[in-house]
Amino acid sequence: MEHSVAEFIRFDRITKFYGPLCVVENLDLGIEKGEFVSLLGPSGSGKTTLLMMLAGFEQPTSGNILLDGTAINDVPTHKRDMGVVFQSYALFPHMSVGENVAFPLQMRGLGKADIAGRVARALDMVQLSALVDRRPSQLSGGQQQRVALSRALVFEPRVVLMDEPLGALDKQLREQMQLDIRDLHRRLGLTIVFVTHDQSEALTMSDRVAVFNKGRIEQIGTPRQVYDEPATRFVAEFIGETNLVEGVVDAVQGQEANVRLVSGDSIVSAVSGTVTPGQTVFLSIRPERVDLSEIRGDARNCLETEVTDSVYQGDHLRVQLQNAAHPLIAKLSRRSREFPPGTKVFAGFSAGDCRVIAP
Amino acid sequence: MTAGRSKTGRSLLLLLPLLLFLVGFFVWPLFSMMSQSISDTAVLRLLPRSTEVLAGWDRQSPPTPEMQAALMEDLKAVDDDQALGDMVRRLNSARSGFRTLMGKTTTALGDTTNPPADLVSIDTRWEKPEFWLAIADALSPLTDRNLLAAVDLGRNAAGEIEHLPADKSVNRVILVRTFWIAALVTFACACIGFPYAMIAASLSGWKRDLMLGAVLLPLWTSLLVRTAAWFILLQERGLINELLQTIGLIDSPLPLIFNRTGVIIAMTHVLLPFMVLPIYSVLLTIPKNLMPAAASLGAHPLRAFLRVLLPLSLRGVASGSLLVFISAIGYYITPALIGGPGDQMISSIIAFYATGSANWGMAGALGVVLLVATLLLYSVYARLSAEEPGRR
Amino acid sequence: MPMKLTKFAFASLTILFLIAPLIAILPLAFTSSVILTYPIPSWSLRWFEELFTADAWRRAIVNSLIIGSGTTLLATVLGTAASLGLRNRALFFRGSIRTLYLLPMVVPAVVLGVGMQVLLAGFGLTNSYAGVIIAHTVVAVPFVVVSVTGALAGIDERVELAAESLGASPLTVFRRVTLPLALPGVLSGAVLAFATSLDEVVLTLFVAGPNQRTLARQMFSSIRENISPAIAAAAFLFIAATVLIGIVVVLSRSMLAKQR
Repeated sequence: MEHSVAEFIRFDRITKFYGPLCVVENLDLGIEKGEFVSLLGPSGSGKTTLLMMLAGFEQPTSGNILLDGTAINDVPTHKRDMGVVFQSYALFPHMSVGENVAFPLQMRGLGKADIAGRVARALDMVQLSALVDRRPSQLSGGQQQRVALSRALVFEPRVVLMDEPLGALDKQLREQMQLDIRDLHRRLGLTIVFVTHDQSEALTMSDRVAVFNKGRIEQIGTPRQVYDEPATRFVAEFIGETNLVEGVVDAVQGQEANVRLVSGDSIVSAVSGTVTPGQTVFLSIRPERVDLSEIRGDARNCLETEVTDSVYQGDHLRVQLQNAAHPLIAKLSRRSREFPPGTKVFAGFSAGDCRVIAP
Repeated sequence: MTAGRSKTGRSLLLLLPLLLFLVGFFVWPLFSMMSQSISDTAVLRLLPRSTEVLAGWDRQSPPTPEMQAALMEDLKAVDDDQALGDMVRRLNSARSGFRTLMGKTTTALGDTTNPPADLVSIDTRWEKPEFWLAIADALSPLTDRNLLAAVDLGRNAAGEIEHLPADKSVNRVILVRTFWIAALVTFACACIGFPYAMIAASLSGWKRDLMLGAVLLPLWTSLLVRTAAWFILLQERGLINELLQTIGLIDSPLPLIFNRTGVIIAMTHVLLPFMVLPIYSVLLTIPKNLMPAAASLGAHPLRAFLRVLLPLSLRGVASGSLLVFISAIGYYITPALIGGPGDQMISSIIAFYATGSANWGMAGALGVVLLVATLLLYSVYARLSAEEPGRR
Repeated sequence: MPMKLTKFAFASLTILFLIAPLIAILPLAFTSSVILTYPIPSWSLRWFEELFTADAWRRAIVNSLIIGSGTTLLATVLGTAASLGLRNRALFFRGSIRTLYLLPMVVPAVVLGVGMQVLLAGFGLTNSYAGVIIAHTVVAVPFVVVSVTGALAGIDERVELAAESLGASPLTVFRRVTLPLALPGVLSGAVLAFATSLDEVVLTLFVAGPNQRTLARQMFSSIRENISPAIAAAAFLFIAATVLIGIVVVLSRSMLAKQR
């Protein structure tokens, strides 16, 4: 198989069985140096197993993992030089913050003075210099998280692996840490592989997102690509909220297709992949791209619907619609007018705002 | 407020029966054992008149006629031979020669046809202040003699504490032996128990259940059954010797029973669960991801073990060791049945003094030594196990 | 791989060390020989017969049952009441009282035996069933306290508050809510108390007279004086009882677990 020259990590046809259970199936993935790649998927989709194999905690049943062009399958974890940030931080409870951060440097036989300097800098980077003598149990969750981060970075590993590192934090702290980690990534030019099941986290932080499902990668691309151009029904549903409407392809012209819905309406939509006329497909329409008005507007696609419910949610208005055959959800801006149930409205959206997905 | 008070009252009412029961049948017995070890009324209760007269004596000059008269009166009034025997034994241990002196004196006093005028006329030894000094000292209701003797100390004629002569220094030998056997058993349990607990904690499913079941089954089985089982295995024609002879490893049976080897083997078997279980439960609290974390930070498995797993599990090893050691120093049944005369521990000696020779003072004194050692170690253990592990 | 093999060998040998003695003694209960050695010449039930017909053994079994039942009753009642009292966190000296309750487990049996004999002699209770039952209860009660406090700690206090808010009086709350929830703990405490009494030798040596010889006491002197396969037969009964007790404890634990 041809690999790009800049590729730093390569998973080459990786398969992993736990007994009879296949958790990763014939998976290929390349990651470039300095790239921030998120492995996103529901639990049990194989993303953590892949990370564990990269770190050397697990062995692939078949296939090779290459780092910088050399297979590392037989390299034990402690020689792989990868900084791992664990889900529950895995700080050593019997060592102080400073000792925790010094640990990887001691393992590499660095001199005392050198270690002291590096530890000080690493803790400074995460603004924890004052807590160097504390025990992990005396720290808050966010502080523990930052200690774990600086411990994983202090020895300048070749790759940084993060296994849902922000899962235990509350929402506000989590969002702050997302920005901090993204900032570190840019500043230090780190190669980061980040496992998460939180799609907004993956979209916020990554250069590229790999969406996992049942041991396979469904789609890999930039956050914009996976959100706006979902390749499969799974990706469309897993990332963000979407309306999925069934229909049959009437005609295909270039990157657009005409799709006839069960309700009889005809929709013009962008296409990912190839579809042929007569094929049954799904249309994915993002709720926030739907506009409502009481008169038929000039949007290319327009569905005649009735409002069944409308909920004010602070930053947006969520409207439940029903057309002749399908329910539909629209998210409107806070400034939009109210739509009481029973109102007849037209739901309009452009061809670029919906996507044909082969089932 | 009243509700709170009635709740407290109810709790106290529930607590009280066991509290009273244990104060009566646990604390009190221990206290009466301690008081046995320091009380000494064998002489006092037989010599009430002498007690009064001797209080005014200067402890140096020869005995006055009043002193002799009072002692004669007291001795004539004694009608309990056993009490007399106790007193004579007590006095003789303080001053040798009392046995013959008292025998002669009481015989003479019993001679009603020809009553002696005074004690000196019976035996001239009664002129010597030393014998009166011994009586005067023995009149005190409290004594530290037994407690001192328990650690092979005694008082010389001048009342100073000194080591007992080597031929009387049996207790210290036994104490040292008790602690040595306990230490050996603890060491053996730690050497087997720590790796065993680590392997068990690293497994899952039926393998782990099997390993824990193998520890729990002996723990639940009667101590006597286990001791009897070792008796059968270790005896001269027991399974172990037969097996070793059959496969040709040895020609004649190894001496495995009624000696130190047998005691250590059987006690290690009996106490191993107390080592495995605390270590195991500590190992379970250690997060599973610490060893992978250490590996990812560049630690070789051996270094990761030494720097991470070992320090974190030491608390369990310490609790287990204390538990085993505390139990071992108080052991009676196993050494009594599997050990030889040279393997008897302090409990056996206490039992010997108590049931064999009815020397309650010595039994109590050695009991105090064992009790104090046990409670001290237990308080360390309690502090250790109360400590919260250093993490959330 | 060699590491794995070492681990396996070590674990297997230790399991053998732990279990083999218990298994080795069992077949000897069925020997026809008068000596306790392998190989067994032929099988026979004569030693069980001896156990149930020889006067000393038969009486020892009866005594063990009498003393065991008395101890179980006394220890369970006292221990359960005390554990309920210990639930009140507002109590002064709660920790000290709890320590006192558990201390009989720690104090060497011989030490307690000496004190107990001195004391019971004062009451004229040596050589009596009452004396032995009292002595056994002292060492059995900590097991009841540990077991019942454990079960009580697992009860969500809000359940009791809920019962009270629904109109139950404190006594009804106890009878209908607390006690049923704590019952598995009480039962396993009772079983442990019985087992403790059954196995107790040292205190028995000090406080029991010839008429209160228990099975364990009888086994002790028969190992010491004239060991015979009757010991193995008695051990067989003990191990069988242990397995039964184990099943009861495990069942009550799983009952407890289900309630949570």
